[in-house]
Amino acid sequence: MREIVVRIAGAAGQGVQSLGEILARSIFRSGLFLHGELSYHSRIRGGENTFTVRISDRPLYATKHLADLLLALSPEMWRTYREKLRPGGFVLAEEAARAEEKNVLSVPALRLAREKLGLPIAAGVILLGAAARLLGLAEETVTEAIREVFGEKANPNIDALEIGWELVSDPRFELPKPQFRRGECMLLTGGQAVGAGAIAAGCRFLASYPMTPGTPVMEFLAQRSERYGIVGEQAEDEIAAINMALGAAYAGARSMVTTSGGGFALMVEGLSLAGMIETPVVIHIGQRPGPATGLPTRTSQENLLFALYAGHGEFPRYLCAPATPESAFYLAAKAFDLAEKYQVPAIILTDQFLVDSYVVVPRIVPERLQIENHTLSSEELVKLEGYERFALTESGVSPRALPGLSPHLVLVDSDEHDPYGRITEDLAIRKAMVEKRLRKEEGLRQETEGPSIFPEDVGGRVVLVGWGSTFGAIREAVEMLNAQEDRFAHVHFQDLWPLRWAEIAETLGTAKKVITVEGNAWGQLGKLLRQEAGIRPVRPIGRYDGRPFTPEDIVEAVDHET
Amino acid sequence: MKPEDFLAEVELAWCPGCGNFAIRKALAQALSELGLPPHRVVLVTGIGQAAKIVHYLKVNGFDGLHGRTVAAAAGVKMANPGLTVIAESGDGDIYGEGGNHLIHNIRRNLDITVIVHDNRVYGLTKGQASPTAPAGYRTRAQPFGVLSRPFHPLSLALAMGAGFVAQAFSGEVEHTANIFVRAIQYRGFALVNVLHPCPSWNRVQTFAWYKDRVFHVEETEHDSKDRLKALDLVLRPTERIPIGAIFESEPEPTWEEKHPVLREGPLVSRGLPAAQEISALAAEFL
Repeated sequence: MREIVVRIAGAAGQGVQSLGEILARSIFRSGLFLHGELSYHSRIRGGENTFTVRISDRPLYATKHLADLLLALSPEMWRTYREKLRPGGFVLAEEAARAEEKNVLSVPALRLAREKLGLPIAAGVILLGAAARLLGLAEETVTEAIREVFGEKANPNIDALEIGWELVSDPRFELPKPQFRRGECMLLTGGQAVGAGAIAAGCRFLASYPMTPGTPVMEFLAQRSERYGIVGEQAEDEIAAINMALGAAYAGARSMVTTSGGGFALMVEGLSLAGMIETPVVIHIGQRPGPATGLPTRTSQENLLFALYAGHGEFPRYLCAPATPESAFYLAAKAFDLAEKYQVPAIILTDQFLVDSYVVVPRIVPERLQIENHTLSSEELVKLEGYERFALTESGVSPRALPGLSPHLVLVDSDEHDPYGRITEDLAIRKAMVEKRLRKEEGLRQETEGPSIFPEDVGGRVVLVGWGSTFGAIREAVEMLNAQEDRFAHVHFQDLWPLRWAEIAETLGTAKKVITVEGNAWGQLGKLLRQEAGIRPVRPIGRYDGRPFTPEDIVEAVDHET
Repeated sequence: MKPEDFLAEVELAWCPGCGNFAIRKALAQALSELGLPPHRVVLVTGIGQAAKIVHYLKVNGFDGLHGRTVAAAAGVKMANPGLTVIAESGDGDIYGEGGNHLIHNIRRNLDITVIVHDNRVYGLTKGQASPTAPAGYRTRAQPFGVLSRPFHPLSLALAMGAGFVAQAFSGEVEHTANIFVRAIQYRGFALVNVLHPCPSWNRVQTFAWYKDRVFHVEETEHDSKDRLKALDLVLRPTERIPIGAIFESEPEPTWEEKHPVLREGPLVSRGLPAAQEISALAAEFL
């Protein structure tokens, strides 16, 4: 694998994210794979924001600490990030960084932006123009990317690109050869992928309260509301959001909410209501470090056990954690379909790292989606003599009617209820209803996929087990470790509940050692493996400083452990 | 349909003498008068003695969580504005636990009717003070009497811009039914605060206590089209209690009428996305 790592560093308000997106699009348009990681402080101005782009000839799902090229939008950024350069790394810095250092080219970008364009904010694009030429990108490709990102405001930025382009002469880096043609791959973030998967699955209603990093999904759907026929409402709080979503779902709209751990905590009573009234709802949780407000703009995997066990009482749910933006698309769609089919809440667990990272993935294939209607039509309903919303069935799934579509009445109740939906304290009915609800989990269990296993036979190997967005970092770490000594394996979970644990116990039972790698301190998947599969992982490799894992972090931790 | 056709033939779990019986009767009468088919009505309730009404009437029902009645009702209406949506629960549910949803749904101005059974106590949990309990009201949970001022739903709704604000008294079924008819017919957010005695727990605001104090605003000079006069009516300190339509404005465009997606019809009638729609979606990222 050949790769070049570029880091753009600036204060909030200097346009780091837009510059990162232009760079990412330019690389994508050049037929190359990339991973673009956004790291930012919880503030609107100041602080240190970075966008780290890995350019490669193969798909990447992880970030790196060390860069080959640093774009420092201010001298402070150069001082902060100069340590995080690979040997031979190069710096393009705003003027006043110490130009006498051999590997630093300092550029009066701010002055040029002021004098030539009258637009100080365009300084970043001037630096980016110089960087693009150093990287060996084609100028017209970067121009196209600027048009895509800035739209009507593109022109002064294209002028800025040209100014930057002229500041350097020859490429300093050699990009890999193009790997795909236009139309074969997609560039998107995990947050966009969750939103697109929801639209593809027929999501019609979203109610949410803004909370980082759940908000990008809300904005994605809101922006496409008219095009795809979706009602999105910013609720007064997360409690309202989930109860509105359940009201809308009861009335027949496929519904979702998006939030983070703290907002989900407020939704938990509503989650339990979804379980009781057997009304489908999809909940997207973009994880960030807690407890409480924690680190609002950072990443974590601290909510696995919370998402799994949240809610008073016992009821089935579907829980998944996508590894990549590609699977975030398919799993979001699957969450909608399973929620509808089994009339359960479905939870998609992502995190800031996945939500905000730009990744080039294979083009999605609509035919791979399994989206079906799971409610009774008006025609089917009028043929029924009577209707009971919670009819006792073998599968536990009762045929679902929607109110208003036929003369049959639809009654749902958060109290324990009889098959019609009416409140009851008949304890025999109570027992039958508990069993009916829990039977649905058995059907659901057959719909989930076990973990991906690499290599196929993990027998005798040291197995690194992860879930969700750590996929790329763990896989690269295992490849690096196996290059030294071929005795490692990678088992990765995306579907997390319900699972066929006996199969997992069988697979992992043959391992020499099981180590979980998780973005938390407890080793939450490790606890689950112990409880459900009887597997006893060794001390977890955890990361809980708010930053994503890099492959090197994991290799180092494994070396230490073994 | 006749009013009786809306009454479910089930055992009612309310205490003898409870005002809820009369409210149920008034609502059945109102639905009958409006000529609404039961399957086109959704009654959304929460938890508490009042909320049990959903099980005692023959319409669609969503009996959700305590306090979340108005939020769930808003969701139902947003998904299918063609349905008649009534949110109904007690004062603890809608003014206490769910106060925030009441405030923000007045802002939204969906065409929903909120009916609140206001007996100034918590019945189901045995007699604690509700948000509308008068200051000084003593219960086992408030041994020094209620130290806070009572919640004032009518002035809140008026100040927030609600289009239809009314009060009723369960002791007057015909009058209450008539208020319900007007509230449901009103195109926009409507609040009806229904005063009713709780013979089990509230020994102060009894049937007779209300009977002595209520008066019909329709029989006074009150101008129910004037929001400031309505505020004056409900805020002026007096022993007497107005019932009737306190305020009714010309309807303004509702949330659902303003929403460009809902102007194309209810969400429930949209099918699943066609393959070409999904391809168009994917094309955004190519």
